[in-house]
Amino acid sequence: MTSAEPFFDFTSVWSSMPMLLKGFGIAMACATVAIILAIILGLIVALMRLSRIKFLRWFAFIYTQFFRGIPLYVLIIWVYFGLAIAAGVNLPAIPAGILTLALLNSGYLSETFRSGILAINKGQVEAGTALGLSRRNVMRHIILPQAFRVIIPPLGNQYVDAIKDTAILSIIGVPELMRESKALANLYYRPFEFYTFAGLLYLFAVLVVSRGISVVEKKLSAHSAQTPATIALSK
Amino acid sequence: MNSYKFDWNVIDKYFPELIRGLGITLEISLVGMAIALVFGLLLAMGRLSSMRFIRTVANAITQLFRSIPLFVMLFWVYYGLSLKFHILFTEFQAGALALGITGGAYMAEVFRGGLMAVDPGQREAAMAMGISRGTTFSHVIFPQALRVVIPPSVNVYVGLLKGATIVSVIGVSDMIYVAQYVSLQTFTPFELYSVAGIIFVALTVSISGFAWMLERRLGRGRSD
Repeated sequence: MTSAEPFFDFTSVWSSMPMLLKGFGIAMACATVAIILAIILGLIVALMRLSRIKFLRWFAFIYTQFFRGIPLYVLIIWVYFGLAIAAGVNLPAIPAGILTLALLNSGYLSETFRSGILAINKGQVEAGTALGLSRRNVMRHIILPQAFRVIIPPLGNQYVDAIKDTAILSIIGVPELMRESKALANLYYRPFEFYTFAGLLYLFAVLVVSRGISVVEKKLSAHSAQTPATIALSK
Repeated sequence: MNSYKFDWNVIDKYFPELIRGLGITLEISLVGMAIALVFGLLLAMGRLSSMRFIRTVANAITQLFRSIPLFVMLFWVYYGLSLKFHILFTEFQAGALALGITGGAYMAEVFRGGLMAVDPGQREAAMAMGISRGTTFSHVIFPQALRVVIPPSVNVYVGLLKGATIVSVIGVSDMIYVAQYVSLQTFTPFELYSVAGIIFVALTVSISGFAWMLERRLGRGRSD
């Protein structure tokens, strides 16, 4: 009898470790840049939704509904293979991927910000106004700092989702973890081992981020008593 | 210079095929959801089990499958599992299974929340009346949990429906797949993807709206 191949053989995974870790690094970098952009965009859209100008409110509402409703895969294909081709622009994969991820997440985050802002006690606004602060300053110095504390947990979840979503960026050629895993799985004909390992790396990232978020959350709640807002959103 | 020629007539011509593709997306997501419901309920019951070992295993499985991207899960099932265990999945089966596994982990969370929301007094009352554990679960606890479970389940379904769009990467002929191969012949990817995207957004937004309505309705009778 010839020596049978081992059932599970992770040697090719170990020897490809530098490529896989590089892919993982690119995935994490894409998710991080995208979530930072999404925070900025999401905040702008949330403020538009709470604006006194009707047009801005409507625009923000449609923006949120659209980006929350569209699947990332469809959006990315539309941007990269539809819009870019129709407009005749040559989009590099990484910026296109990050931009798409940021737009999608900003839709979700704007809702998070909105509910965070609305969760702040009305009395705070009134007190600010009574002290002669402008609407803008009330928002900037009173509401947003408090709202930000409330939205830490949902923000963390969004970051976790963004990390998982980076796997889809492989279809436009971003050299992230999934793309590297696909290439290596085909090369060594070991799909089970490579995809299992990729899955475990994503699990690792998710666990680390979730842990980090709960540490931050604990630190913040140690500094402040529970407000009605934190109670309302922690459900 | 831009040489792209817009041709919206292509939509008229291929609309029935796009809709047929949408039908496949709906079908695969519904099969995936059915698997997710069964798998999720089992996981949730495991997580609430009185046996510590079962609890630990069920918790670990939930965490694991929730953390792995659906895209990775799809490749893991279709290429990894099938090659390793010599199971010949069709593209549709692999897609539905991947959706079911990921969805199941999300449903486990939803079911657990629903089961825990039922007042423990209900279980105690059933026990005091001499009802067996199984009957207590199926006739007392579960029906009450269902009310809490329905709205978030619809949201999980919307997630699966959106996730189901990626199955075209393994060759399921859904709407995106149709748009892809039609655009190869007609060179009108912008028109095709735009229409596919709009149809999709309309669908998910209406289902989410329905979930929101359900949540308000089902929550109405609750006094707590």
